[in-house]
Parts: sequence; C-alpha cells; structure tokens
Amino acid sequence: MKLDAVTLEILNNKVAAITEEMCLTLQRTGRTLYVKETADFACALAGLDGRFFAYPRSIGVSGFVGLECGPTIEAVERTAGPLAPGDVILTNDPYRSVGLATHLPDLQLIEPYFHDGRIVAYGWCFVHCSDVGGRVPSSISPLNSEIFQEGLRIPPVKLLRGGVLNPEVKLFLDANSRTPEANFGDIRAMLAALGAGRRRVEQVIAQHGAETLLDAQTDLVAFAEAKARAVLRRIPEGTYRFSDYLDDDAATALPVRLALALTIADGTVTLDFTGSDPQVATAMNIPSHGRPHAWLTLRVLALVHTLDKTVPLNAGLLGPVSIIAPKGSIVNPQEPAATGVRHAAAIRVNDLLNGAFGLALPAVMPAASSGTVIPVVVAEPLPQGGRNVQVVEPMIGGTGAREGHDGVDGRDSGISNLANNPVETVEAELGVEVLRYALRPDSGGAGRWRGGCGMELTFRIETDGASVLGRGMERLLFRPWGRAGARPGAPGALIINRGRPDERHLGKIDMLSVAAGDTVTFLTPGAGGWGDPLLRDVEAVRRDVENGFVSVAAARADYGVVLVDGAVDVAATKALRAAAVAEPRDVDFGPEREAWDAAFSPEFMGRLNLRLLEAPLEARQRMRREVLERVLATLPEGFPRRPAAPAAADAARRTLEAALAE
Amino acid sequence: MDQLPGAGVRIGIDVGGTFTDFVLSDPRDGRLAFFKEPSTPDDPSRALLVGLNALLEREGLRATDVGALMHGTTIGLNAIIQRRGARIGLIVTRGFRDILEIARSRMPSSFDFHATKEAPLVPRARIVEIGARLNARGEVTEAPDADEIARVAAALRALDLDAAALVTVNGYANPAFELDLCQALSQQAGGLDITSAAAIWPEIREYERTLVACLNAYIQPLMQRYFDGLLAGLAERGVGAPLLVTASNGGSLSVGSAAARPVDTILSGPASGVMAAVRLAKAAGTAGIITFDMGGTSSDIAVATGDTPELATRTDIGGLPLVLPVVDVSAIGAGGGSIVWVDPHGLLKVGPQSAGAAPGPVSYRRGGTEPTVTDCYLTLGYVDPAGFLGGRMPLDADAARQALARVGAAIGLEGSVEDVAAVTADGALAVTTAGMASALYKTLAERGLDPRGFALLPFGGAGPTHANRLAEEADIPHVVIPPAAGTFCALGAAGADLRRDFVRSLRMPLTEETAPVLAEAFAALEAEGGLWLDAEDGVGKPRRFARGADMRYRGQAYELRVNLGEDLDRAAVIEAFQREHERIYGFRDGEAVVEVGTVRLAAIGPTPPLQTPVVAERPAPEPKGVRRIFHKGAWTEAMVFDRAALGAGSVLTGPAVVEQDDTTSIVLPGWTAITDLAGNLHLQRQAQ
Repeated sequence: MKLDAVTLEILNNKVAAITEEMCLTLQRTGRTLYVKETADFACALAGLDGRFFAYPRSIGVSGFVGLECGPTIEAVERTAGPLAPGDVILTNDPYRSVGLATHLPDLQLIEPYFHDGRIVAYGWCFVHCSDVGGRVPSSISPLNSEIFQEGLRIPPVKLLRGGVLNPEVKLFLDANSRTPEANFGDIRAMLAALGAGRRRVEQVIAQHGAETLLDAQTDLVAFAEAKARAVLRRIPEGTYRFSDYLDDDAATALPVRLALALTIADGTVTLDFTGSDPQVATAMNIPSHGRPHAWLTLRVLALVHTLDKTVPLNAGLLGPVSIIAPKGSIVNPQEPAATGVRHAAAIRVNDLLNGAFGLALPAVMPAASSGTVIPVVVAEPLPQGGRNVQVVEPMIGGTGAREGHDGVDGRDSGISNLANNPVETVEAELGVEVLRYALRPDSGGAGRWRGGCGMELTFRIETDGASVLGRGMERLLFRPWGRAGARPGAPGALIINRGRPDERHLGKIDMLSVAAGDTVTFLTPGAGGWGDPLLRDVEAVRRDVENGFVSVAAARADYGVVLVDGAVDVAATKALRAAAVAEPRDVDFGPEREAWDAAFSPEFMGRLNLRLLEAPLEARQRMRREVLERVLATLPEGFPRRPAAPAAADAARRTLEAALAE
Repeated sequence: MDQLPGAGVRIGIDVGGTFTDFVLSDPRDGRLAFFKEPSTPDDPSRALLVGLNALLEREGLRATDVGALMHGTTIGLNAIIQRRGARIGLIVTRGFRDILEIARSRMPSSFDFHATKEAPLVPRARIVEIGARLNARGEVTEAPDADEIARVAAALRALDLDAAALVTVNGYANPAFELDLCQALSQQAGGLDITSAAAIWPEIREYERTLVACLNAYIQPLMQRYFDGLLAGLAERGVGAPLLVTASNGGSLSVGSAAARPVDTILSGPASGVMAAVRLAKAAGTAGIITFDMGGTSSDIAVATGDTPELATRTDIGGLPLVLPVVDVSAIGAGGGSIVWVDPHGLLKVGPQSAGAAPGPVSYRRGGTEPTVTDCYLTLGYVDPAGFLGGRMPLDADAARQALARVGAAIGLEGSVEDVAAVTADGALAVTTAGMASALYKTLAERGLDPRGFALLPFGGAGPTHANRLAEEADIPHVVIPPAAGTFCALGAAGADLRRDFVRSLRMPLTEETAPVLAEAFAALEAEGGLWLDAEDGVGKPRRFARGADMRYRGQAYELRVNLGEDLDRAAVIEAFQREHERIYGFRDGEAVVEVGTVRLAAIGPTPPLQTPVVAERPAPEPKGVRRIFHKGAWTEAMVFDRAALGAGSVLTGPAVVEQDDTTSIVLPGWTAITDLAGNLHLQRQAQ
C-alpha cells in the first residue's frame, strides 16, 4: 500500500460517497420510471486502467462492479483522437464496448476527469432508457434473434466535445427512438451526475493532492482484492461441478443448459462454463467476451460481501476470478447474437454459481431461490384510441433456505431488488381488480429449513380487448432445487379463470389476449429447502401451519408432523417420522429434472456441447435442435413432466450416443 | 383544563437514554432555566416527576405556577424497534392477508444473501381477512353482511388481542366505510380498540397506510398507560397545567390526541431539537441551516431553509417505512461512543460499533477497553478530563491515551505514547469527519442543495466539540453554537406549536371541471383541522394552515411535493407545480395535463415565541486558562474560556476552547468565534 492507514480509509470513504452522490444526483434529476422507481442505473469512478475503483453501495444497480471502461475509451481514442477536458463518451453496443454495455437500452456515458492537463480518473454512469428503436416498443423482446432487431447500436462516440454537445450524434439518437425526449432527459441526468462526480474529484484533489487520489485508486483495488482472497481462502480447494437448465429459450420448447466447473485454489476462483449450450437464437445471450463479467460473477461478489461486509466495492473483488467461457456459447455469444433479455439467463447463472459454491460451502450457501422475475403487464385499449400499458406487479418468489435458516417468503434480491406496485395505484390507473396478491402456501421446498414461499397474483380484467404479458416466466418446468436432503420448491404456473368451469392452465406466454371478466393467476415458484424435512423442529412446523405457510396435509406428507386442531399429536408424529423412508439427495432437482437427466445425462450433454463447439457458429443451434428433437421423438408425450420408462430412457441415451458419433 | 398554555411558566422536557432534560421558560422576564436529571428507563415518568420537583424547588416556583408542560418521549419508538408493543391483530380485505409479509417486496441488501427481511408487526396467524372492499373511486364493491361481521368478530375474540388495525383496499377513497366497519366489529369483539387505516391516514398505498394503523395500534396501549400514570403523578404533585406531547412533525399535540394517535409522536425527540435550531437561526438572522446533533452513538443532520425544516414523507422506523410527515433527520455517522479500530488488512476505522453508555469510552473507567471518539477528544486536549459534566464525572485521560497508542501501534506508528496516541486520535477524527462530510454531501445532493450556502448548527453533547472540524472538512463557512447546546431537544419542546397533518388522496387531472374538487378537499381538510385545533386549544385562538399537494404531469412515474399558498385557484396551483418542476428539472411543460395526487394540510396553533434572554456585552473576556491541543501534527497552545464568561461582542481567535457544563466548543486555528446578543457563538473562517 502506498498510502497510510488513515489517508487510505478517508479516501476509501470519500470515493465511494462520490459515486453515491452521483447516483443521488442522477435519481433526483432523472424523470423516467427506470430511474425513479426501479433504479435501473448506476454511477462509478474508474481508474486510469478503466476499471472501477469506487462503486455505490446503497443505490442503483448493484452488480456492475466488474464492468470495464477500457475498451470503450480505446475505441474512441482510435477513431476520434485523444480525450480532452469536457469530452463525454456515449455507447450502448455490447460488442463494440466489449461488454461495458450488455444490452442496447443501457446508455453508457464516460467522462475523463482532468487535473493539470492529465486524466486522473473517469466518471461512468448508465441508465436503462425507455426505447432505442428496434422491432418492439421498449426495444427488448425475448424473441429477437439478432441484435439488429434490438434497436440503434451506438458505437463508442464522443457525445460531448469540450463540453459541447455533438448535434449529429443527437440527431441519430432522436431519429432512432420512440421516446427521444425521455431518452435525452436521461442523458441530461447522467451529465448532471458526471458533473457532480467531477466537482467532488476536484475537491478531493484540492484537499489531498492528485498523487494521493491516484495512489488511492490502486491501493483500494489491492485492498479489496486482498480481502476477497482472504474470504475465498476459507473455501476448501477443489473443483465443483454443477449444471442447471432454463425451461426453454422462449422460441422453442427445448431446455437450455448451463454448466459450470468451479475451481478453488489458493484464494482464486476459476469459473469454467464449458458444457453450456451454444448461443441461442433468442435474446438471452450474455455478452461476457470471456471476461469475468458482471453477469457471470454476481454470486462471487455477493459471497465475498456476505462473508466480509466491510470490503469496499471495486474491481479488486474480481481480481481473484478468472473465466473460461467458450466462444459462441450462451455465456460468450458472438456478433450478431441478441442480448436484450440477458438477465433471464443471468438469473440461472446465479443459481449455477450458487449450486457450485454450495458443494464447497454447504453451510454458507442457500438452496436455489425461486429464480424468476416476471413483470406482469396489462395492455388495454383506451376509449379515445391507443393503449394503456402498465405493470401490474413485478412477480418474484422467495429465497432458498440455508443451514440454520428458513428462506425468505415472497422476496428475492438475487438478481434485482425491485419494489412492487401498490395495488391501489394499479387499480387507479388500469382496468383491473386485483383479487389476490399473496404468498403461496406449500410452495416453499420442504426441508429442515424451509424454502421461501412463492407468490400468487390473481386479477380480473375489466376491459375487452386487453392483453397480458408475462415475460420472464421461468421454473415452470424445472424446479428450484433443494439442498442436503430437502425438497425443491413448487414450480410456477399460469391459470386463467381458476376455479371456474372455463379454467385453463397455460405455460409460458409472451402476449395473451383476454376478455373482460377473465381472471388471470400467476403462481411463482417456491424456493428450495435445506436439510431433511423429517428433522425439522416440530414446533416450527406447527407454527408454519398456524401461520398458513404450510397446510395440515403438507405438514403430514412432507414433514411427518401430525396436527389435530392446531396441536401436535406427538405420538402420531413420532410414529410417522420413524416409519418414513428417507431418500435424501444432496441436491434435489425435482422429478422433471430427474426424468430429463435419465435420458439426457449431464455427461452426454457436456460432450454434445463440446462437439457443437467444433461446428460452425451458425449451424450449432440447428444441429442441437435436430439431435434433441430426434431423441425427444422417442420419449412419451409430456416428457419430462411425464418420466420415460427405464427402457425408453436407455433407448434415448443410445440415440443420443449415436447422434454424437455422427 | 382551566389554564391555557402561556399563562404560567412553560417547561419543555426531553427524555433521553442517559438524562432527562428540562428547560423552563418564564414569560414574565424571558428567563430560561436548564436542568438535568438521570433518566429512569424502566419507568421514564419517575425521572420526569422527580426532576420537575427539583427544578421547581430550585427556581422557587410552585406547582400552580406551571402554565404548560411540553413533553417528548421515545417510549413508542423503542417499543417498535425492540418489537415490544401490544399483541395486535389486523383485519384486511380478502386476498391481502400477506400485506405485511410482502410489504414493498424489497430486501434490505442486494449483496448480502444472509440478510433477512424485517419481522412483521403482526404475525400471519393474527391477520383476519374480511369480505370488504372498494374500488378506486371509493365505491363499495363488497360489504360484509351480518354473518361475515360475526365470523370476523369471533375470530378476533379467539385471538385474545390488546388492540387491532383494519384496512380495506381503496379505503383511503372513502374513510367512512372503515369507520362503520370498525364500530360494528368492535361492538361484537368485546369493545376491542380497532384503528382504521383510512381514518388515521387516508393516503393511497395500502401497505404504507396499513403500517401507520398497525404502528398506532401497536404502541397505543403502552402509551395510554404511560400518559395515564404521568397525569396521575402530576395531579398528585398539584400540577394541573395542560400536558402537551411533542410530535414527529416538529409540533405538539394535547395528551388526549397523543394517546389516540401515538404514531404521530414516535420521532418527536430529534424533531424537537431541529425545531429549536430553526427558531434560534431565525432569531439570529441566519437563513439556511444544517443542524448537527452528535450524541453518544451517532450523529444526525437536518436541513432547514427559511423558517421551516425539511419534512420527509418516507422515513425508516426499525426497518419499516413510515409515510407520515416528519422532520427529515438523516444519520451521518459516528457519535462520541463510536469505537476506533484497525481492519485486519490495516485500515484505521471508526464505528459503526459503539461502546454506548456501557461500557462506554475507555476514559469512563466503566470497563471499556476499546478507544472511542470521546477518548480522542480527551487525548487531543479538546475536553478537560476534570471538567466533564461540570466536573461530576472525572475522566481517565491516561487510559484513553494508552488505548489509542495501542491502536496507533497496530497501524505502524512509532514514538512516545503521547505522540502516537495524539496522531492516532487526530487520524481517527479525520476518518470520522470525512465520513460525516461525505454523508452530508449525499443528503444535500438528494435535495439539490449546496452546503456552502448554509450555517452548521451543532447541538447534543459532542456537537459543539466536533462542529468546527466538520465545517472545515465540508467547506461550510459558518457555525452557530447555541448557548444551551446540551439540552436542545427540551428547548425545542418548550417552544413547540400545536400541529397535526391531514391528507386526502385525489388522483385526478387538474382541469376546469375538477378544480372545485380540489378546493372542496382543502376546505374539508381545513374544517377537520379547525375542529382538531378547537378541541386541543380552545376556540378562537390564532391558527394557520399550511397546504401542499403531490403533483405530476400526466404519464410521469413520480410525483413532486409542492407547497401551496392561500390561493387555491387552478392556475395558481398549476403554476406552483410548474415552478417547482422547473427548479428541480430545469424545464416546464406548458402543454401537459397536470395531475393532483395527495393533498396535504397542516393545522398549526402557534405557541407564543419563547423570549430570548439578552446577554451582557463583554468585548474582551478573560480566559480561565491555557491548554495544549493537538492540531495538524503538532501541539499548540489554546486559550480556554468559560462559556458563562463570554458576553455579546466577545471575539475569540482560534485555537480556543469554550467550556460549559454539558459540552465543550472547539475553535480551530484559522477560525474566529464571535458571541451575539443572544449568546450564540458564531464561528467563521478568518480572512486568508
């Protein structure tokens, strides 16, 4: 460390506070929903290497600590010459910014901060803006197959030169958005944030000197890295393998596989995603460029922070992390793969890391959380023409249980930590009546510690010609897994007119037409449990029943606890628990995944994906689909919800083997 | 109540964790008297009654000389934070039993996956659903029949509750519906006290409104018992003066109102201090202030421009959001008890752990072994070990030095114990101050304000000791240290106006057709406020109403809180919004439809202003001694003054130390301190 213990702590505090002050400035001056309500923005300070040495702790998007500004800055300097005071760079292109932007609506700004004629730091911020053109309003749809459908791509360019707006850039921006004014409002708010950062950096230099600021940048990153290594050294060394699936890729019914080999050695972490599926022809690809990208490493950050809450947030946290992400895979897609809903895959990547770390640290890591974020949207025709489009609720589930602790019911901050909407404001602005917004009893995975309950949202449509959007529905097939002998959470569901003669159970929807009087019920998955449910404290089961999180029937069937009029029948419980035949699994993925693995074993799937890597990029998805469909054709209708008979599963494996040999 | 406030002496009382503070104001001669009594946390009224007796005795006054008692209490707040309130139930529209479990669905941390959500005030088993509902227009779409009422009442009886809250979806739009329900249920549930959410706070947003009602029910039995006991104790001592209770909005309520709506009082302590500061700044002609209240465990700031403090309509109470208007107080970091320590990777840290009052700082010799910020003051010569609490509690300066020297060794400092301790203490205060200044900047950035346009007004035990360092770090040009900095909250209580807030959510475009609705809403709120003031303070007393509204352009995702004047004409209301929008966002949209969400009214019954005693002139005060203080790496000689020896026009040049019983003020080198006619100490940077 170059700085002394006092100065470094002072700078540690000050630079983090600068980024938070930038965020507060952005939030105060921004005007869109993304800024005001969902806080889908962030600000940070980058050092001369383009990596963040300071990042806000309590406001804005939490996971982007690992982003790198370097490639964007270099790209501008290549085309437009060296940066000068007052220049501000704009980009949104995941490919040309080498992963600084991860989908097109995220407008990224970088301003070099100068002192005495040289750059001493960079201010950075981004906002998820309302629309950058493309095939659909708001620019993102899971069904986009190429980035060209997702809107205007802005390569790194100078938006401001010497403090003056480049009017030609603005002309391009305005011409390519459905909401040019709102976008420019966001840009103005970002410029205000960058200005606030610049003034505070100048103040720090006035108080402490430029050299101290530069020393602090490297010292703070080194300090965070040392603390991260200290945490990671507590993890037993070795290689831990885990795989998980997305139910499908939104365009076909074929599940999407994510696989990870996690290697821990002397305080370093290697995340090897070899065995994950090729990039998909929908918008769920994560443009990591093979770097320890934010969307692939969020769980590492959370782990370090959970075990050492004093660690500063900066690039040093990712110093010990390296990545192997095969080119052309879903976690390192090649141009022109679409990336608009990369967070859908990122949710499962989070589960993947959680599962692999869980094998190494069973007492620290929880079981799978509900693993879904569904902004439930209703679009209704307006009497005067046009449509009223509003989010009813952003639906999530609960968090997984861990050793010693039940999961949290109806909340999950794993990937985003959004506030919901008051039902009263929804009803004031939209023709729906919310009939039920509640926790979903018996959905939390049974365990010695119970998984968090999923949620239910039921609403009645009051306008004819309305439609319902439920993008992000996941875990309707493959359940949030339980750990250490516990059960998985219940899968999600979508039901129209529940309890009526015209009740319909639907799978995933993109956009669903509904009539006045229809009721729509979203059930989100419960989270996985932890530990053998037969060992759960009987009193905890009784309390769960009293509070309605668990039914009397489930208390008996899942926990072996017999309740009569709310009281525990001790003798009957003892007998029931003694007679129960335990079949504990270290990881319980649920019957659907078991049926799937019986036919498509992890080992085969890993080999298949390795083989596909040898094929040309554009052929991979087609080849994969052909192989899987050939095998699925031999399996029963409804597989894997309906398991295959052992003989059929064997036959499937042989077909797969034959396909691999081709 | 045959005596009205203002007829006799007014006594403000603030119950703190360590001391119960009293400020007596005598309207005959404007004299202020101060008194401290050790608190009795098991029953706070004991210290209050004992202290009151002692104060009256000391001042040669009788119980009948007391004109009014103004009292702040943290009983409600503590019960909420420690979850020690009543056993309450909640009755809620069918389908919404999980309203408290779901809350606003956010977790307290995005990074910490071991974090848990807040414990709900009412467990799910004590929440009963009822078939009762309205639509967004306030029309009843489902009303419970007699069987449903009987079923719910039976369920409530079976739960054996102390009190309950009731909320219906869209109830805010038609509060009468809930009041009828509460009455019907209470009748059949053995007279159970049921707080209606729509009646207590008819603002849109069901979760937040439910919490207001639940918090009220949760602390109501406790507060009622406390007030009953206190009133009986006062009556026993012959004090028949009205008892007023300070409120979180900076005003006060009669004890009757406070017992019915205790949720209005939970943040009254800090609010009173801020109100005292605001009144003092106004009298001293200081336009904008940042209050700085530094106590044992933390430091708080609040911002006031003009003569009103900023109010917040979303505050955190022990992890729960409170939407009632409260004086906006933000924590900015360490207090005197915050611990100085070394991170395993070598950084010098201060807090967030606090040694509190027990074991306390090392120098207290109560078993504390880790040095605290107070130990730093002692080591740097800021505080006289023999003069703490007016000499009643000698401090062990040597023990403080030894402890700090140990910390200094851990960060690699070498040299004599005295030097290492001083360098460490100075470093720890630099770390503390930088943290405070950073938090202060963030608080002001949220409002778009620049600290350089404000004066810092410190109070609390350590505020005046630390204020100059904070001002220097944060580039604040002016510090105003009030005479009675240590009993400021009690002073604020003594001067509190009557004040209660009223709301109504309209949610409508403001057009020619709807303009009368807005006017009617304000007229209704004014009538409601007027009735309340009549009941509090007798008819015909002076009163005023402050109005505001939450407004937005149609289609915007957020509302702006706008203050409105007397003129409620549509054009004037829209102009007020346009102006505020322009101030914050730099533009106005003349074309857009403007919508009105929640309208707000504060009913205020002004209390006669406390008279400010005038201090004698004393241009050249005598120092009582000289002390070495450590500054920027070296020891320097500072003149020490007794605060009582300063008079109007006294000019001190830093470094200087000003001592009084309950605090010590530090004037740093490069700063000058001038005493004004009211005895305030104004610190200003010397011209360079």
